[in-house]
Amino acid sequence: MITLYDYELSGNCYKLRLLMGMLGIEWKTVPVDFYPGREHKSDWFLKINPLGQLPVIDDDGLILRDAQAILVYLASKYDASGSWYPRDNPALLGEISQWLAFADGITGTASAARLHDALFYDFDVEAARAGAHRLFRILDEHLWFGEQEGRSWICSAAQPTIADIACFPYIMLSEEGGIPRQDYPAIRRWCDRVKRIKGFSVMSGVFPAGPAKAA
Amino acid sequence: MLDLAKSRWHPIAAAHDLPLRHVFHGQLLGREFAVWRADDGYVNIWENRCLHRGVRLSIGINDGRELKCQYHGWRYSNRTAGCTYIPAHPADAPARTITNRTFAAVERYGLVWSAEEPQGEVPEVAGFAEGELLALRAIPVNAPADVVAARLTGYRFQPSGYIDGSAAKVAVEASNAFSVALRSSEADASTLAVFFVQPVDSNRSVIRGVLDGEVEGAARLAVLRHHNELLSRLRVAVEAEAAREPAPAPLEPIIERVSPELAEMPEETTHGRKATIRVQVARKWPAADGIAGFELRPIKGLLPTFQPGAHIDVHLPNGLIRQYSITNGPGESDSYVIGVKLERDSKGGSTCLHETVREGDVLAISEPRNNFPLRRDALQTLFIAGGIGITPLLAMAQALNNQSLNHELHYFAQNEAQLAFPEKTSTLGASLKPHLGLTPEQTGAQLREILSGYGPDKHVYLCGPGPMLEAARSIAAEMGWPETAVHFEYFKNTNVIDDSTSFEVALARSCMTLTVPAGKTILEVMRDAGIDMPSSCEQGACGTCLATVIEGEPDHQDVYLNDAERKSGTKIMTCVSRAKSARLVLDL
Repeated sequence: MITLYDYELSGNCYKLRLLMGMLGIEWKTVPVDFYPGREHKSDWFLKINPLGQLPVIDDDGLILRDAQAILVYLASKYDASGSWYPRDNPALLGEISQWLAFADGITGTASAARLHDALFYDFDVEAARAGAHRLFRILDEHLWFGEQEGRSWICSAAQPTIADIACFPYIMLSEEGGIPRQDYPAIRRWCDRVKRIKGFSVMSGVFPAGPAKAA
Repeated sequence: MLDLAKSRWHPIAAAHDLPLRHVFHGQLLGREFAVWRADDGYVNIWENRCLHRGVRLSIGINDGRELKCQYHGWRYSNRTAGCTYIPAHPADAPARTITNRTFAAVERYGLVWSAEEPQGEVPEVAGFAEGELLALRAIPVNAPADVVAARLTGYRFQPSGYIDGSAAKVAVEASNAFSVALRSSEADASTLAVFFVQPVDSNRSVIRGVLDGEVEGAARLAVLRHHNELLSRLRVAVEAEAAREPAPAPLEPIIERVSPELAEMPEETTHGRKATIRVQVARKWPAADGIAGFELRPIKGLLPTFQPGAHIDVHLPNGLIRQYSITNGPGESDSYVIGVKLERDSKGGSTCLHETVREGDVLAISEPRNNFPLRRDALQTLFIAGGIGITPLLAMAQALNNQSLNHELHYFAQNEAQLAFPEKTSTLGASLKPHLGLTPEQTGAQLREILSGYGPDKHVYLCGPGPMLEAARSIAAEMGWPETAVHFEYFKNTNVIDDSTSFEVALARSCMTLTVPAGKTILEVMRDAGIDMPSSCEQGACGTCLATVIEGEPDHQDVYLNDAERKSGTKIMTCVSRAKSARLVLDL
């Protein structure tokens, strides 16, 4: 069984809980006291991940770090449909990697602002917020034109991919870092769609959507 | 300038911003909106604030008929924004004062328009034909609206029919602080573009552009991208310009208290039964054999919020007043639909509605009252309807159905032709269980089967003819249903009222002592003394004139209270019940 080194309030850990829930994977949790205990910098944890970052998984002895990398692994290994990370579609794999890197950018800005506001990290919060708005403008435009072209998800596939999962948490939690999403209506509609994926789960600060209208 | 802006119409969203089951987060002049389209197409623009704890309703859930707050689950109705259910008070009907502030909404030119204090109509744009327009992607800009509008007069773009050209001539056709109309022409192509600048806040705006003429297919996307690119570039320039000035202070909208007509006590009148609402019979049709359906639409404005189980008083042309349950499903708030059975021994009420009242007629009705509230926290809810008793239960079943809550609607009737409102009951699917043509004995056996297997968190709601209700209540009691789980509504009180007693009533809050003589009711004596007491059926069935007893022993003659409520001695229906003691003290 997969072991997830987890912190409840981490959006990066939530990415993995989200995908595992949607794929119907069972896992067990080892809670890591990220705040205030700083357990991710403790000796025992640094042996597992010398970068001192969450999340980490241990799947039968295979230890992996980095949320995006773990999404790639989980989808490749456990998604029988092959839709979350379609290994036989190079163009789509390129798109997915592009947006996984974008998700890292969201972590570096929106998540940083949230760490500043909520967990008292000493970051330049104004720069973090401005950076997040720059990324949100780009994503909103991308999603708006996607809707015009009949595309519901970040990548040009008919089904959601791990790129949607990677971008979702720190967008949904952005207001905890003082970054409103009022100016991004296409992002807000896409958030509704992600919340309606079968197996979706919430975390603190993320609210569920109601059901879509039955066709 | 921004003061003037309050009375103007502004676009606050694009029509495509409001897909079904979504809540858009809007803002105009500093005031935030929760904007949502109900499944019937109605666009709701509400103060973005739950009346309970102030949480933003834009993060709430649009279930197609109601908006549910994420925090404590308060539900608000389509159109009226009135609260229909409070999970923390599952047995109670929310007060009518719990109504959120709504704002005007008009869809035009592919945009949704609103205004805080609208004057006149949404501006007419010469050359714009509805349905033959292209709404551009909205561009939010961190700059004041007038600065954005000034910049837009210098906006240069290609006409839609010549998007690859580069030498278009652009002329300003009109401009003001909140809109700019430009015409671009090159070769034989010409496009009119109107840019509305939505003043979001003192230093925030949204550019909402609309082009004349439809563009199809790939060309459409090319046009959309053309403007998106140019407007994004304009945004960078305007934001840089605005950043050089000190940012004006954000606007502070006033969150108003609940509207005076909701908050104030109704005027005192000697007649207790008020019919303040005028409705027109928009449709009258045979809802079943012997049952006429009436759709009642307001003459002006909106009808008040109703909850499942609520009834209205209908004041008839012949002077009679009758009570009818509202059959509407949740969010069906543009009219009230009632069902009226032609009674063989009609005293003039049902005959008048069946024979005299026609489509187009105007009737006076009361506000809806809900003395038969529906809990939405049961594991299973059973509805048992006999004949026309379907009406309140139909509204209830539709409410639970919309929330996918477990329920069964058992509908007893003589035959299929007597099953009313098939267009409504058919939406309930398998939860509708008709029982046709049963004798009283067979009905009893069926009720026994339905009511077997009581468990915690099961509730049953009964409405139908007196004998059936009596049977169902006694079977429920036998089967172990506690009284708190058995809810019922009688059509009428068939008890013979004994009004031969005389006694004293002390009204504790009003500091008044009155004598109720034989032949008069408590309600009549109170009204004679100038006490305004609401009432509806005035025969002890509906529950409207309920009063709390502080002292003394009531002589119950109604059919509204259940046995436990009667025994408690703390409640009395003032229209029929009297006193066994020489004196009653009421909390009035």
